[in-house]
Amino acid sequence: MRDLDPFIHFEAISKVFGTVTVVDALDFHVARGEFVSLLGPSGSGKTTLLMMLAGFEAPSGGRIHVDGRRVEHLPPYKREMGVVFQNYALFPHMTIAENVGFPLKMRGVARAEREAKVKRALDLVRLRHLADRRPSQLSGGQQQRIALSRALVYEPKVVLMDEPLSALDKQLREHMQLEIRALHRELGLTVIFVTHDQGEALTMSDRVAVLNRGKIEQFDTPSGLYDRPRTRFVAEFIGETNLLAGRVAQRQGEAATVVLASGGSVTCDRAGPFETDSEVMVSVRPEMLHLVPDAAAPNALPVTVEDHVYHGDHIRLHLAFGESRLVARAGRRDAAPPIGSTAFASFAPGDCALVAP
Amino acid sequence: MSARLKALLLVLPLIVFLGLFFLWPLWMMIATAVQGGTVRLAFPQTATAIASWDGAGPPPASLQAALVRDLRTDTPQERFGDAVRTLNSQQAGFRTLLPRTARAVREAGEADAFDLVALDPRWSEQGYWLALKRSMPAYTDANLLAAVDLKRNDEARIEPVEPDFAVNRAIMLRTFVIAGQVTLLCGAIGLPFAMLAASVTGWKRNALLIAVLLPLWTSLLVRTAAWLILLQDTGLINQTLRALGLIETPLSLIYNRTGVLIAMTHVLLPLMVLPIYASLIAIPRNLMPAAAALGAAPLQAFRYVLLPLAMPGLLSGSLLVFMVALGYYITPALTGGAGDQMISSVIAFYATGTANWGMAGALGLFLLVPTTVLYILYGRLSRTPLVQT
Amino acid sequence: MSSVSRPGGAAFNAVRLAFAALAVAFLLLPLVAILPLAFTDSVFLVYPISGPSLRWFGALAESQAWTRAIVNSLIIGSGATVVATVVGTLAALGLRRELLPFSGLLRSVFLLPMVVPAVVLGVGMQILYARMGLASSYLGVIIAHAVLCVPFVLVNVASALASIDPALERAAASLGASPVKVFRGVTLPLAMPGILTGAVFAFATSLDEVVITLFVAGPNQTTLARQMFSSLRENISPAIAAAAFIIMILTFALLLAVKGASLLQGLRKKQRVQPSEA
Repeated sequence: MRDLDPFIHFEAISKVFGTVTVVDALDFHVARGEFVSLLGPSGSGKTTLLMMLAGFEAPSGGRIHVDGRRVEHLPPYKREMGVVFQNYALFPHMTIAENVGFPLKMRGVARAEREAKVKRALDLVRLRHLADRRPSQLSGGQQQRIALSRALVYEPKVVLMDEPLSALDKQLREHMQLEIRALHRELGLTVIFVTHDQGEALTMSDRVAVLNRGKIEQFDTPSGLYDRPRTRFVAEFIGETNLLAGRVAQRQGEAATVVLASGGSVTCDRAGPFETDSEVMVSVRPEMLHLVPDAAAPNALPVTVEDHVYHGDHIRLHLAFGESRLVARAGRRDAAPPIGSTAFASFAPGDCALVAP
Repeated sequence: MSARLKALLLVLPLIVFLGLFFLWPLWMMIATAVQGGTVRLAFPQTATAIASWDGAGPPPASLQAALVRDLRTDTPQERFGDAVRTLNSQQAGFRTLLPRTARAVREAGEADAFDLVALDPRWSEQGYWLALKRSMPAYTDANLLAAVDLKRNDEARIEPVEPDFAVNRAIMLRTFVIAGQVTLLCGAIGLPFAMLAASVTGWKRNALLIAVLLPLWTSLLVRTAAWLILLQDTGLINQTLRALGLIETPLSLIYNRTGVLIAMTHVLLPLMVLPIYASLIAIPRNLMPAAAALGAAPLQAFRYVLLPLAMPGLLSGSLLVFMVALGYYITPALTGGAGDQMISSVIAFYATGTANWGMAGALGLFLLVPTTVLYILYGRLSRTPLVQT
Repeated sequence: MSSVSRPGGAAFNAVRLAFAALAVAFLLLPLVAILPLAFTDSVFLVYPISGPSLRWFGALAESQAWTRAIVNSLIIGSGATVVATVVGTLAALGLRRELLPFSGLLRSVFLLPMVVPAVVLGVGMQILYARMGLASSYLGVIIAHAVLCVPFVLVNVASALASIDPALERAAASLGASPVKVFRGVTLPLAMPGILTGAVFAFATSLDEVVITLFVAGPNQTTLARQMFSSLRENISPAIAAAAFIIMILTFALLLAVKGASLLQGLRKKQRVQPSEA
């Protein structure tokens, strides 16, 4: 379905500031009704990409199509996108109702219709009772919802959000994540969401584009990114992982046997594109690593327990495997071997991924 | 010592200093404007004594003695002359009587009693003393009325002065008109200039701001002199226009309203630009992009977002420029013609030209009151400081 | 967020550029145009300058009226600066913590001399001085100028004081400094740039003052500005450009000395901050 309906299409899009290439010849599609996050560290080009889509930056090269129409030469006010800014950008001299009504007023919508639509948009975020207040009288979370309602009021084709939740505290942020997701489903919106918070991206998105230095590392569903990272950057940036350096000794179809630099060998079901003899990293999530007493378990690595760290809902075990350090996650009821004892850390061949070193 | 007392002691010198040399002079000016005129000034002791005489009986000896004492003191020649003229207009005969009496009193020396009637029998006539009393009321509105081209007629009714003498209202009106024109010009140049300065960054912004600050730091007199040189018939502007073939004969740009407006706009423009600039850079950076993203074309974004948010700056800049322009003297005096002088020049004329401090004070009051009102308004409206450094 | 450069029309940019050029020319042309004329060898204040010469500076030096005026300006300017700086600084210190009732009102009144039309104050001062016997005296002129200069000192010192982090003074006190030592060792040095800037503005204000001087000074106290004013009214000669040159150089030298020092400080600070900003 996605490929049948490329609603937003970036085609070889790039942006160069002076000698720095911020966005490097990107190609990707977003389908109608999809919620896509652009995730990356600061300087990865995610905000620049969004600004080019919104019309605040002119691309240095490439094309942007929205709904079959090229937009890169349109000024922002003709692009018909709803933008939610970092820090909300509510107009301080207007009331909440005037703020929400602003896009309608700019489009020459008659007063009566405008008022009706503003009411509906405020109902959407359940803040109709604040219509006559000023932005400065609202809490951060309320301002955030007003900014959202203002971006939605004229039913734009696409809603762009630039780190909209970064100014909120953790609890409110998580609440707003659910609320935005619900609105997305309810209204069938196409959303492009910029964030540097991987948890946020995984929670909210249909697909996530992980950006690094102006390039897309992987564009995938949240579980695809987490369970099947294709690059070391993605493996490390999304969640936490153990990386074991080694060399592919043998390939058996999709699976591969990897001889580890720290000794021993493991088998991995998803070998990806790596041929025999290529240098690789084996990525294993901490919760996939289990301590077992004997070496008979699959992929059992001899380890020494160095420390236990209590985390409330789980315990983290710090392990030494030769020169490498590993982290395993144990349930709080699991009997953890005492510090200094030796054991075997084991993982199923299906619970690991090979990435380039 | 309490912190509060310490603070008071620190502030006290300035309170005393400004009380003595700023508020008191202003008060004296106002007092002079409403006090009973020239006669009172020339005969202060008589004025006190005559207040307790009801005018019915003969003048008491104490009143006569007070007059003698006043005549003995060394009153400036002009002031004495002014007083005599005023008195003579009330009662013919004072013109000869007073100088004669004054001479006799001084010649008589410090002798205890001096018999006025013995010197001149006119001093026994009730009419002279009544004229004296009438000419020195404690307070008068004569100067204030004259300042707006009014006077009291013989029946004490207020009526306009003869058209030939009615010039003050026109000059006041002119003062407000010029100040208004200068404010408009400053706003017309200052708003786009401040917008430009706020929209660029780095060296461009610095260059634009320095272009505003340099004139502000330059002597007013030097700037006015510079315009005098630039705008004269053989000045750079006319030379350039002629070299370009745009004009044949020089435009007259100086010693007329054009010159006044150009020079005053130049002098006051920084006062407009800086508050507007301050309010513009206080606008959160993402508001204008937000307006554009929500569908506002540049002109709409200006009309609905930028202008309302710049309005406090525009308002305080306008108030400041208007307020300062009202009191301008040097620039119109140097770059204007006779028909471009503002109220300040009339005040200066009365004070330094004819030593008529009553009139100068009355006109000064008509300038001081609007200025103070505007200043209070400015203080209410504006959060930008008065001095930019 | 990276800097937002909107794709704007070329015509719009051209208009902006033209406006900026015209406005900057309007602001700076008079300042630039008058300076070279100080060095003309012609008797007329016109361009083009026929030849470079210092004759008009010579004329100033030979004219007793001008030399006297320059000396008077220096005397009166220094006097007014000292008076205004001392009382203004003290008052700024007193107003600093807003301990006094009506602090805001006091501040507004202290700034009034900047707002009240000079002619109005001149009339009042003339009347007062006639009574006090201060008319046509150096002291009288110095006091009158000091009244006009005080607001500049007050504003500059107050803003310098406001930018001092109170934690510094508390730290000094906690380290054992007595209140007097805290003031001399911490507060005063930190406020000094503000005090100096205020003093320079005060001097520049006095140097430029004409109106009040017209009212309270006698022929013996004629200042440079006053002398320039009368020559501008009577006979415009390049001597005026030479005098303007002196005034501008004097003002700018002082301002640059103070502003340059604080600007350098600012630049150094900026450089230190920059790496962490990137």
